Amino acid sequence: MEVSDEIQRLTLPWCREAHWWDSLPAKLNQLEPRPTELDCRDWRLGCRDLQQLSELLEKTGVTLTRIHANFRETIVSAAALGYQSYLEPQQGSHTKVTSTDTQPNPNTPPRLLFHEGTLRSGDHLSAEGDVLLLGDVNPGARISAGGDVMVWGRLRGVAHAGQDGDTQAKIVALQLRPLQLRIADAVARGPEDQPQPGLAEEARIEGGTIMIEPARAKTFNS
Amino acid sequence: MAPTTRTILICSGKGGVGKTTLTANLGIALARLGVNTVVLDADFGLRNLDLLLGLENRIVYTAQEVLAENCRLDQALVKHKQEPNLSLLPAGNPRMLEWLKPEDMQRIATMLAEQFNYVLIDCPAGIEDGFKNAVAAAKEAIVITTPEVSAVRDADRVIGLLNTHGVKPIQLVLNRVRPKMMANQEMLAADDVTDILALPLLGLVLEDEQVIVSTNRGEPLTLSNSKTPAARAYSNIARRLQGEDIPLIDPAKEGLGLRDKMWRLMQTKIF
Ligand SMILES: Nc1ncnc2c1ncn2[C@@H]1O[C@H](COP(=O)(O)OP(=O)(O)OP(=O)(O)O)[C@@H](O)[C@H]1O
Ligand SMILES: [Mg+2]
Repeated sequence: MEVSDEIQRLTLPWCREAHWWDSLPAKLNQLEPRPTELDCRDWRLGCRDLQQLSELLEKTGVTLTRIHANFRETIVSAAALGYQSYLEPQQGSHTKVTSTDTQPNPNTPPRLLFHEGTLRSGDHLSAEGDVLLLGDVNPGARISAGGDVMVWGRLRGVAHAGQDGDTQAKIVALQLRPLQLRIADAVARGPEDQPQPGLAEEARIEGGTIMIEPARAKTFNS
Repeated sequence: MAPTTRTILICSGKGGVGKTTLTANLGIALARLGVNTVVLDADFGLRNLDLLLGLENRIVYTAQEVLAENCRLDQALVKHKQEPNLSLLPAGNPRMLEWLKPEDMQRIATMLAEQFNYVLIDCPAGIEDGFKNAVAAAKEAIVITTPEVSAVRDADRVIGLLNTHGVKPIQLVLNRVRPKMMANQEMLAADDVTDILALPLLGLVLEDEQVIVSTNRGEPLTLSNSKTPAARAYSNIARRLQGEDIPLIDPAKEGLGLRDKMWRLMQTKIF
């Protein structure tokens, strides 16, 4: 007999094999109407892609429970839509990205710490690898990471990327108006002017100083 | 027995922003709406809720004797003279801080919940033991702040702590608002504050010298039929808690002289 609460998996084809959208009709036929996890492999999917995909699945009675992907861009989108998301290194064994999973392990590639909820004054979120926050960083709160700091919200507190010295690290936020920014050893006060509406912004080191400019799509892919 | 008792912590983080004043006025206002209300002074270090309510000279026992089982709860409760729907459970002496634990506050709150519809807890400033004890007793909270950067910062910290303690809902009262300063952008606007704190605004209390006058007299503003802005604000907060839908005041339209109001009226009519 079928165990009905076991999770079935929908795996998209690799990028070079076929387009994920074209492969869907055939795959949908094989799915049963029950909770399903999606493996996006090396596809870089945005919120809209995932939304369309989940609506399509919903029509056939399939509910998406969580999403695996090899790329951060997809994880960011999935998390933004409220899915439990897992960043899988291309080598295989997958890493769960939640805020509780923080034991350092030098053998695994840099990990993404994912945290949902606003950081309020006095809070400090710190990660060994990259950190992705869904929520605001309020004045008086701190967010820091060995790698990149990504804030899906407003950054109004203090952010420190590359805290172990990585000068390539970046800080990205939907609204970047921090009190103070740090990348590796460089320190900058936040900009005073009003943010441009609707543009995510990115801070990184260029020629030894911290520069802020509209975020590039590349940010999430590196 | 009151099965749907609301146990509400009134807290701020920063000191002196108006917790005790709100607790006293809200207590009276709720009592006047006919609901059985008790105010619990959890500020053992610097108790003054009794003073604000004009009940200082009627205290015989305190929370301390109740916890030590040296008296019954009803012996320690002080009924308000004019508003018998309101009672006060006074704080014990400051030495209580040395042994009081969160469980003790929970015990008191549970006892009070059996008799009252509302339990309002006047929280001490800060986020140390006194705060932690008080939080343990509360189900929901009202965070009060003034439109000052430092007060908002502390309120934000407190909200974070309330969240981790599972206190909800948390609502916001903005106190000592000065419409002129807000209009001139010399003070944070209400929107700036709610933007950061991300809480629903339960009330907006204007800076009002009558508050200070009434405090000194030991007669909360809501006790009289005073029409002064702060008195109205406090009773509106009570009515909103009771589920009435009362629109918030617009600071831009408050505190203007009669001439300004007429002028505004004429402007809107004629042009
Ligand atoms: N709306 C207001 N208009 C004018 N004065 C006010 C207003 N609200 C409070 N005050 C005054 O501010 C002072 C502090 O108020 P209160 O004692 O209620 O603050 P508190 O938060 O309880 O302080 P503490 O942290 O010391 O317990 C008092 O003198 C009070 O009269
Ligand atoms: Mg007080």
